Amino acid sequence: MNNKIPNFVKTNQFGLLILVIVFICIFSFSTDGFTSRFNIYALSRVVALDIMIGLAMMVVILTGGLNLSLGALGVSAAMFGGWCMESMGIPISITIILVLAFGSFLGWINGFVTVRTGVHSFIVTLATMSIYFGFMTLLTEAEAFRKLPEAFTDFGSLKLFNKYISPLLIISVMTCFVLYYIFKYTDIGRKLIAAGANPDAAELSGISVDRMFIYCHMLSGFLAALAGIMLTARIGAAIPSMAGHLGFDWLLPAFLAPVLGGTLLSGGKVTVFGTMLGAILVTLINNGLYLIDVGEFWVRFFLGIILLGAVLLDRAREYFTVKNSIVS
Amino acid sequence: MSALLKKDWFGLGLVLIFGSILISLFKPAFISPFNLYVLMLSVSLMLVVAMSQMIIIAIGQMNLSVGAIGGLVAISFTGLMEVYSMSILPAVLIGLLIGLACGFINGYITVKTGISAFIITLATLYIFKGMNLGITEAQPFYEIPEAVKFFGNAKIFGPIPYLVIIPIIITILMWILMNRTSLGRYMLAYGNNVQSSELIGISSTKIVIYAHVISGLLAAIGGMLVVCRLQLGTPNIGDSWLLPSFAAPVIGGAILAGGKVDVIATAFGVILVSIISQALVIFKIDPFFVQIFLGFMILLAVFINRYREYREERRTKVFSDE
Repeated sequence: MNNKIPNFVKTNQFGLLILVIVFICIFSFSTDGFTSRFNIYALSRVVALDIMIGLAMMVVILTGGLNLSLGALGVSAAMFGGWCMESMGIPISITIILVLAFGSFLGWINGFVTVRTGVHSFIVTLATMSIYFGFMTLLTEAEAFRKLPEAFTDFGSLKLFNKYISPLLIISVMTCFVLYYIFKYTDIGRKLIAAGANPDAAELSGISVDRMFIYCHMLSGFLAALAGIMLTARIGAAIPSMAGHLGFDWLLPAFLAPVLGGTLLSGGKVTVFGTMLGAILVTLINNGLYLIDVGEFWVRFFLGIILLGAVLLDRAREYFTVKNSIVS
Repeated sequence: MSALLKKDWFGLGLVLIFGSILISLFKPAFISPFNLYVLMLSVSLMLVVAMSQMIIIAIGQMNLSVGAIGGLVAISFTGLMEVYSMSILPAVLIGLLIGLACGFINGYITVKTGISAFIITLATLYIFKGMNLGITEAQPFYEIPEAVKFFGNAKIFGPIPYLVIIPIIITILMWILMNRTSLGRYMLAYGNNVQSSELIGISSTKIVIYAHVISGLLAAIGGMLVVCRLQLGTPNIGDSWLLPSFAAPVIGGAILAGGKVDVIATAFGVILVSIISQALVIFKIDPFFVQIFLGFMILLAVFINRYREYREERRTKVFSDE
């Protein structure tokens, strides 16, 4: 802890960065087409979404809670957006604002119920997950919105930087910087972290912990809605099943990214760039597994193994850091 | 009488009785033998799943992989019989063994690493489900012995299906475990307060592993019962278990922080959920509403439990003031 250089080396982000580089090397040597323009572009579109989903989960993990309704919420918001654009003919920019407000509102419901009942957010969001998804299916009659404005869908298939990168990735990276700024340098961001780290102490120092927790849930809803819009732009349609049944397909990337990134599940710690690296790693591995042809049905199995390996490694790293610091 | 009123299951029981009478007054079809038969089948299956989750809630953790274990066991059970033409009994035993192993993995990793069971079981959920899909390549097994089909669909007498036998035995055994054995009481003590339970000499390793092994076994039984009922082994068995598995214990008044579960109330929770789902079908309400309703039921149960706690707190406060 005394030296300046090893401090960064000891962090989770550094380990992740190494892993990302190692996996890039492995996949580029062992598979054809990993570094092709097409594959990198495809990767950038997927990474963009995984980062956003990871961030949406991260801000709730900050409170020591969870948001199981993430996928259902994101899809509901996206379907709402599709309805606004296709059925109501509302312009794109206003639709996006409405969708983000809608997502924040659904997040507010999660936060409000959690804070008022004092029940773990797991059970609250388990309930709201099925409520949101149920209402969404009921109202849309499980029909997709496929006639979205061209300007909107074109944005999703736009190619930047010599056709290597999707603009969606830029949105996600910018969101990372904004969140980093909020958590690092603003009053409200510090209060959010304080409330998550030690609710009692925060309450005593005059922070309304309940309100902070509701803000975290709203932010999560906001980011999930943003992810929903991005996914809609990417596939060019708003489809009720685009995140799987009850939005469950989002759940693994949502937890993988922050947990790999070093966010503590007990709350009180956020690692924005760790989450970003975590999402990149997950997408890389996912993509690589397809390219080295393990068979699409085994991909899930390996993702589970990787999550398990990651948390175990993290625990080992923690153990050795503690041991080292005691020795020195 | 007042002691009875305080029980979690008492209020639920009243709701059940009055609810059933009310529904059957409006729709006599509700108490038709066929409907009762369908109701009992759905209660039987969910009862096992709910117990599998309840025992983990008792120790203050959660098990996301219940459905994945059920699915893996279901396809192994049918696969062994179809592909390796194994007879029923060894296939059942191997199925139970797989459930036991899955539960052991969950419990062992959770307790040895100290990482939240939520994350561990999320990872194993994907591992078990991935194995399931990898083995089956998303194709169901159709060749099921006649005896298994018979067990899943025959009736003992009247509308009572054979399928209820095992869940009833399990419920009784669970009640004995949680109320009359030291292991069950230790589990509740552990769920209530990990530190103090360790101080009085309860081994966390043993408790957590036992709870997860029992959970895995019950999930395995649930998976095999679904196979009997459906007469085929599809890879998506267990996919929809997560919500109901938590709904019943929560409606039954379990505290998710651990240390308090009520087997009878959980069973009543299962029956309540089944009756409501059934009633919504009878009243020709959109099936998607069932899901929304289940969500609202959980929230309602959470609010009621919270209110009762609050009243309890106030009462004890009044007494201590005197």
